[in-house]
Amino acid sequence: MRVTVGKGSCGIAAGASEIWERLRAGLRESGIDCAVAVTGCIGMCYLEPVVNIEDGAETLTFVKVDAGAADEILKRLRGEENDAARYAIRPEDVRLLHSQRRIALRNCGVIDPECIDEYIAREGYAAIETCVRSLTPEAVIEEIKTSGLSGRGGAGFPTWFKWDAARRSPGGPKYIICNADEGDPGAFMDRAVIEGDPHAVIEGMMIAAYAVGSGEGIVYVRAEYPLAIVRLEHALKQARERGLLGDSLFGSGFGFDIRIKAGAGAFVCGEETALIASLEGERGMPRLKPPFPAQKGYRGKPSNINNVETYANVPWILRNGGAAFAAMGTEHSKGTKVFALTGKIAKGGLIEVPMGKTIREIVSGEGGGIKDGKAFKAVQMGGPSGGCIPEALADTQIDYRSLAATGAIMGSGGMVVMDESTCMVDMARFFLDFTCKESCGKCPHCRIGTRRMLEILERVCAGEGREGDIELLEELAGQIRDGSLCQLGMTAPNPVLTTLRYFRHEYEDHIRHKRCTARQCKPLLTYAIDGEKCTGCTLCARQCPGRAITGQVRKPHEIDMSKCVKCGKCADVCRFDAVEVN
Amino acid sequence: MNEIKLTLNGVAVAGAEGQTILEIARAHGVDIPTLCHDERVEIYGACGLCAVEAEGSPRLLRACSTMAADGMVIHTDTGRVRQNRKTALELLLSDHTGDCAPPCTLACPAQTDCQGYVGLIANGQYEEAYRLIMEKVPLPASIGRVCPHPCEDACRRRWVEEPVSVAALKQFAGDLALRQAPAEPETAPPTGQSAAVVGGGPGGLTAAYFLRLQGHAVTVYDAMPRMGGMLRYGIPEYRLPKAVLQEEIDRIERMGVTFRNNVKVGREVTLEHLRATYDAVVVAVGAWTSIPLGCPGEDLSGVLGGIDFLRDAAGFALSGRKVAVVGGGNTAMDAGRTAVRLGAEVWNLYRRTQNEMPAEAIEIAEAEEEGVVFKNLVSPLEILGDNGTVKAVRLQVMELGEPDASGRRSPVPLPGREEILEVDTVIVAIGQRPDTAGFEDIRRSKRGTLIADEHTFRTNLDGVFAVGDAANQGADIAITAIGEARRAAEAAGRYLRGEAPEDRTPYWVKTEPGAEDYAGREKRARVHRPRRGAEERRKDFLEVHGGFSGESAAREASRCLECGCLDYFECRLIRYANQYAVQPEKYKGRMHRRAVEDDIPEIRRAPDKCVLCGLCVRLCEETVGAGVLGFVGRGFDTVVSPAGDREECASCGRCADICPTGALLRADAKRAPGGKVEF
Repeated sequence: MRVTVGKGSCGIAAGASEIWERLRAGLRESGIDCAVAVTGCIGMCYLEPVVNIEDGAETLTFVKVDAGAADEILKRLRGEENDAARYAIRPEDVRLLHSQRRIALRNCGVIDPECIDEYIAREGYAAIETCVRSLTPEAVIEEIKTSGLSGRGGAGFPTWFKWDAARRSPGGPKYIICNADEGDPGAFMDRAVIEGDPHAVIEGMMIAAYAVGSGEGIVYVRAEYPLAIVRLEHALKQARERGLLGDSLFGSGFGFDIRIKAGAGAFVCGEETALIASLEGERGMPRLKPPFPAQKGYRGKPSNINNVETYANVPWILRNGGAAFAAMGTEHSKGTKVFALTGKIAKGGLIEVPMGKTIREIVSGEGGGIKDGKAFKAVQMGGPSGGCIPEALADTQIDYRSLAATGAIMGSGGMVVMDESTCMVDMARFFLDFTCKESCGKCPHCRIGTRRMLEILERVCAGEGREGDIELLEELAGQIRDGSLCQLGMTAPNPVLTTLRYFRHEYEDHIRHKRCTARQCKPLLTYAIDGEKCTGCTLCARQCPGRAITGQVRKPHEIDMSKCVKCGKCADVCRFDAVEVN
Repeated sequence: MNEIKLTLNGVAVAGAEGQTILEIARAHGVDIPTLCHDERVEIYGACGLCAVEAEGSPRLLRACSTMAADGMVIHTDTGRVRQNRKTALELLLSDHTGDCAPPCTLACPAQTDCQGYVGLIANGQYEEAYRLIMEKVPLPASIGRVCPHPCEDACRRRWVEEPVSVAALKQFAGDLALRQAPAEPETAPPTGQSAAVVGGGPGGLTAAYFLRLQGHAVTVYDAMPRMGGMLRYGIPEYRLPKAVLQEEIDRIERMGVTFRNNVKVGREVTLEHLRATYDAVVVAVGAWTSIPLGCPGEDLSGVLGGIDFLRDAAGFALSGRKVAVVGGGNTAMDAGRTAVRLGAEVWNLYRRTQNEMPAEAIEIAEAEEEGVVFKNLVSPLEILGDNGTVKAVRLQVMELGEPDASGRRSPVPLPGREEILEVDTVIVAIGQRPDTAGFEDIRRSKRGTLIADEHTFRTNLDGVFAVGDAANQGADIAITAIGEARRAAEAAGRYLRGEAPEDRTPYWVKTEPGAEDYAGREKRARVHRPRRGAEERRKDFLEVHGGFSGESAAREASRCLECGCLDYFECRLIRYANQYAVQPEKYKGRMHRRAVEDDIPEIRRAPDKCVLCGLCVRLCEETVGAGVLGFVGRGFDTVVSPAGDREECASCGRCADICPTGALLRADAKRAPGGKVEF
């Protein structure tokens, strides 16, 4: 029998560490000889903490486990009468897990990320051994080419091409860099992979190193991911102890080791040239391309940079063959893709699906539909660099080209779901606020242009939009795209451009009619009390910070809009649905 | 090195492999703007101004960093390229705080670089100061004496105690040049083209000067016996000695300008003839007709126009006479003070109070000192006569009512309140208007002035330009005519070269500070020119004011606060801004307000002028090897600051030298007028 607790960052945040301790102590007290193992995130963040009991062929999964639930589970483990079944995962959630196709996430939530044996037991490090023992670097690159694997960090550049270019570049030493500087708001794919299956990333980097001809790897991971850093450090130590990293691996002349560089959390450091600058101890600012990193990268030497998910796919491809990977997906996009579902989605978390699924299938399938039964409005794909895709286009397939045709991008996998209560102008403002703050400051178009766009959006949301603002936004967006050096700047206007493309009427409503139909932009809202519904309970009047609500007990109340600060408290507290928000 | 061939703006050019587009373009004389590129440091590619289009590339390329390749077809000046550069400049300027030009220059109708010449005088560089003035004003000794100096009204030193004596310093530099006679201004080689200037006043002389500098053959026609116009015939000797004026006129004549006096268009010669004889004509005939009062009795003997009186002042014997001068402008003051000197008892009649008088305060004060009696709040109703000669003026008593369009409180008659003032002479100095007889072919405004374009001074007649008191808004101060004349000379030059007229208003970065911004500054008293006592000076026509000594000029000049950016003449940002006709107002938003720092030895650092080109950061690190400067912060708030080891700073000042704007300046920097930026 084996008990495991999901202890990714999401699980820990939901209380998994306490549950783990409670289960351990309970079992110890009961004298039951059963270790409580740790595993990473299975992806069902909405169900955390998650506890698994493997008993022979049977696996029981308990979800949203609190202290009481842990006690019931303990009772069950002791063979006492218990109520643990109440916390068992529901069949539809199990189905959602099984509907996925987990390649990069194959071990996440399954193995103990701190135990190299569990990784090895699932064929870990077999792929690199095969490469070193029986494949030429060219053959490895050919296999990756066959797989059709492309960069999962967002740009979707063919992985084999980068490897090949770095391999062919003269000079050395060459470097293998893993980009774990995951920065998009709402994205946590890379974190989950490193926390849940660090060896997969290490093995992927090793295979790349063998193919490129590199002896040194660096993982650039943001310092805000402390657990990922700890697990990765632990995994590297174990791998070295097993002779899987170091000199003369598998009895060959191939040697490789990896070190970790913690980034300071600048979004732009996810851009590969800025990442390299940061690795070199410089300020993280993008550099000109060409030369590309494959030609002149870290310390001016040929370097290959891929992101975490890309590397995590590599061992699977080498073990199962490129063709098996290419068998999944669409004509132009092969394999699977990990997505982080967030926002107004019922079942937020991490999923991995084959390319070619539609957005609607994901939202209503793996995502369980929209929270609270509201209407699906749009998804934001690709974070602040991406764009929004309206519900009307939700049948678009997950495919680099199809998504690009909508004005959005595949991105690294952030999928923020929006419902009818999301104001698209406000949403665009949020993302622009992010890029504006994260601009490295190098190009005026980006540094000042995004700021000016943000100011326009702010005034539109504040009800101070002017005629011509939409045109000014469009003009600036075009100029910023044309004038910025790196992708951060070039793509920064995307959220504005796509919302303008699909929700222009919302902008017009804000500017011309001073109206926010999603009722999000507070300065545009008015509050009134429906005299028919109001019972005169006085609750709203007592809660109103501006003392804008007056009325006698048991008589309908009134709101003085000249005093109203539009906090919305009255509508929140009213038990009779008497406050009308317009 | 392999040769590569490419097409640059439609022209086949060759370059070497490994050269950037910018290098090849520069080698072929194609100018591509850049703020962040410099050969002394590594390629960086920040500012985006060097954007160019290459056929086949969907993206704009940065010319500074893109290696040229064989077969490339490059366009450096397309609409898309220009728009992108313009946006970059507009965005930079939307967060750029400073004063490109000082308020004195902005207030001067001739855009004289006051701060520049005041600074040069402070340095003891008198000849340089004179030459700088001459770039805008060819009559410095004369104008320095008579100008009502709008520059001083705008001088921010007024918030500390009193403005800098800008006009007197101009007189100083001008006088010194007359005494020391530096080399004559150099004229361009003859163009073979000719221009006629009609009118030899400040406007006409200025137009002649600048047309002659361009190498054109210039003839000035004037109706009066001597050149000088109103400066000679309207300004009394005690304010502007004729000898000084004549010397400055002689200097213009020595440049090769031909003067023809006693020739009046419409009398001795026709405009038609001038147009047929010369390639261009500039009309600067001034406003010589006194506006009449329009009351009964104006035709009596003893009623004179102000200008007519001043023109022939020497011919009037006024000893023991009682003179009323009507009007509150400088001409009225000149007439009153001249009448005093001719022995008359003088009353000034004005329908408002002295506070509302358009005349300069000093003129009013000096007139009063000399014995002019100011009778305010009266308006002549009738000039009473006896046997056809003036015997008295009947006056309506007024009071001040609501402010009018000019902002001054307007006079309102008090019903039934009248006064009689016994006088035998009435001088009417309430304004002048031009006499445009002979110029009937030029379109005229309702007020009778010649209509000319406000930027190019072109009239409806091809090749005919009009400036000064005779044009558009009518009579104004001399420096306004001078400013218009210089710009008209430039416009005429363009016309003669067959170039399209340029009618853009230049762009300047400006701030609008107030007195509160100058609180607590050290006070330093204004140095005044020596002045003769009223009792003495009212008896003769000798000059009222003396000039500055070198010592007092230097002391006064050093009071200048140097409001205008010291980097103005080298600033690439403002040069490009005007080349690209920027309109940054549409991007108006939050601006930084950061203090000027002296946190780097020997350097004055103005973060609000920084464009983040990174040249200083890179030069310090790559070339100097010190790494004192670095970028701090992110996004809109990114700033260059001494983030590194300040101990390393060798005070070499090279960061300031490479800075494309005025963000970094050597602490001892002087505003260096080079005239490289022309507005």
